[in-house]
Amino acid sequence: MKPDENLKVALYQNLVKARELEEQMTKLAGFHAGVGEEAVVVGAFFGLKDGEYCAPHYRGALTAAHMRGADLHRLIASVMGKATSYTRGRVRGDICLPFQFRTLGMFSGVLGNPMNIATGMALASKQRGDGTAVVTSFGEGTSNIGGFHEALNLAACLSLPIVYVCQNNGYAMSTRSDYSIKTGSVADRAVGYGIPGIEVDGNDVIAVFEAVQTALERARAGQGPTLIDARTYRLSGHYTGDNNHYQPSEEREAWIARDPVARLRADLAASGIMDEARMDEIRSAAHAEVAAAIAAAQADPEADLSALGPDDLYCPDDAERASA
Amino acid sequence: MTQMTFQEAVVAAIVEEMDRDPTVFNMGQDIGPIYMGAMHSAKGLSEKYGADRIIDTPISETAMTGAGIGAAICGMRPIVQIMFAEFLGMTITPLACEASAMWYKSDGQISVPLVIRVLCGAGPHRGHAEDYIGIVSSVPGIKVVMPSCPADAKGLMTAAIRDNNPVIFFEHMGIYHGPRQEVPGEAVAIPLGKADVKREGADVTIVATGMMVQRAQRAADKLAAEGTSVEIIDPRTIVPLDIETVLASVRKTRRLVVVTESWRTGDPLSDMVSRVAEELGAEGPLPIARVALQDTARPFALPLTRASMPDLKDIIDAVHKVTKVQK
Ligand SMILES: Cc1ncc(C[n+]2csc(CCOP(=O)(O)OP(=O)(O)O)c2C)c(N)n1
Ligand SMILES: [Mg+2]
Repeated sequence: MKPDENLKVALYQNLVKARELEEQMTKLAGFHAGVGEEAVVVGAFFGLKDGEYCAPHYRGALTAAHMRGADLHRLIASVMGKATSYTRGRVRGDICLPFQFRTLGMFSGVLGNPMNIATGMALASKQRGDGTAVVTSFGEGTSNIGGFHEALNLAACLSLPIVYVCQNNGYAMSTRSDYSIKTGSVADRAVGYGIPGIEVDGNDVIAVFEAVQTALERARAGQGPTLIDARTYRLSGHYTGDNNHYQPSEEREAWIARDPVARLRADLAASGIMDEARMDEIRSAAHAEVAAAIAAAQADPEADLSALGPDDLYCPDDAERASA
Repeated sequence: MTQMTFQEAVVAAIVEEMDRDPTVFNMGQDIGPIYMGAMHSAKGLSEKYGADRIIDTPISETAMTGAGIGAAICGMRPIVQIMFAEFLGMTITPLACEASAMWYKSDGQISVPLVIRVLCGAGPHRGHAEDYIGIVSSVPGIKVVMPSCPADAKGLMTAAIRDNNPVIFFEHMGIYHGPRQEVPGEAVAIPLGKADVKREGADVTIVATGMMVQRAQRAADKLAAEGTSVEIIDPRTIVPLDIETVLASVRKTRRLVVVTESWRTGDPLSDMVSRVAEELGAEGPLPIARVALQDTARPFALPLTRASMPDLKDIIDAVHKVTKVQK
């Protein structure tokens, strides 16, 4: 499938909003921004069908949830733990997303869980036989966790409809991927599970989108999982306040030159789809929208103690089921 | 009513729910038609439901649990068989860190109707006895069930499958293929969180779980001959615990003995003891004794296995210790 003009415009809109989100949110305390990685997030989660589920990596998670319909202001309020958060402040909203948008986040700080659980979301798709598929993403560092290997192998054994996207930014905190991963590429690991492993330029949003869509078609057709290694780079710190002192400056410069937003702009301008002025307009609108959402969230009331809910431990029985 | 072993009762409950509810399916290692589950824990299921609903998996407890959770939050009711409770450690990350928290942290957006089946306890298997029940019981949001007889096993499994929360269902190997007993012929759920008074008595309350319930019964028979009247309570669900039934009994007897096949340190029923003391301790003497596993790794040789866990004499001694104290 070749992306048409409308699709490219939509990708640009999402990409610049993602950039604005990452850049503006990283000024807040304790945020794990993914400046430079937006093309992986947008390319992986754009265009999922309404009935489909996904489980995005925590870095860039807000963009994924927003693309699936979550309200920007409430997402940001959730990061701040405000009363207006999607869970009234019960979970940290930077890494955990509102499930009502069929978007799963982390209910603990333990890496590797969403991509593991997403495997079961794909099992549910298969059990229902409704032709839906699941997309999940995770960092390359997370691909060293035992549960990752179990999940991919299980998905391969059961031929589950799922696409695993590695948001490979080259670092896990300060640990370089060339130190922690001895296959040249995370995609090479797919050989170990007998599934396709595909490497893609993670700073090319169209390339990521196409790779994921192709893998999704395969999954929806019952042909099983795919592992995609999307190569990108984290220009922001691991979290607010990290100054990336461990990243060699030549390496940073090389990746800045491959900035995903600039690249899509060049493509759009060269192909005559949009001129610079129109693209600037879209960017300014995104800037204003994010700034307004942050300001609104900041003005929201703090979490109310009524959300504490000491008796909300269990989901109650369905009367009908319990009495059957 | 019909007669079943513990194992048959568990499987019968699963069959009833699978017939009733197409979203129920099973996942586990060697649960297919060739092996039918460790100790025949899935006997007959695969023939009846086929590979789509009785899914054989590789040895991947973390992924099996994660997959169970993922399917559960998307509308299915999975039963994941983690062969032995000894392997629960490998499920902790998805189960205790995520599934346990989802209902609360999502503010009611996500429920996780998942059953994890595990075999445990000293028995014919001569291994895999560890239940790690203290570890899983210490995390809020997971229900923990340990039946002591076929009828309870059936009714509690029915309830576990219908429950909208993650439930770990412990199946004790020492009583798994024991004598057949009366069980209801149709599906009757026994509510989770409801203890059963297995024997009424006036002088001392024994709270016992799993295989220890039988042992407590034998001790009570002997003590009755001495003129001591023992009340036996089986909580059946360790979490949530029916503290009210325990309190009502101890309020009457004012003597408590707790018998479990768990390590003494971190046994979830030690928390129950502190709650009893908090609630009733101020009202007068309240002698308490605990009989548990010795606090070491579980030894192998049969004489060592036996000596390391509560036996009849330990239970009777504990009762004597608390009955020495005058009310
Ligand atoms: C199981 C686990 N181990 C360690 C951590 C601490 N930690 C948080 S983020 C992170 C780096 C993750 O790297 P990667 O998966 O590549 O994602 P990235 O942060 O690069 O987006 C680490 C080690 C954790 N949260 N969970
Ligand atoms: Mg990384």
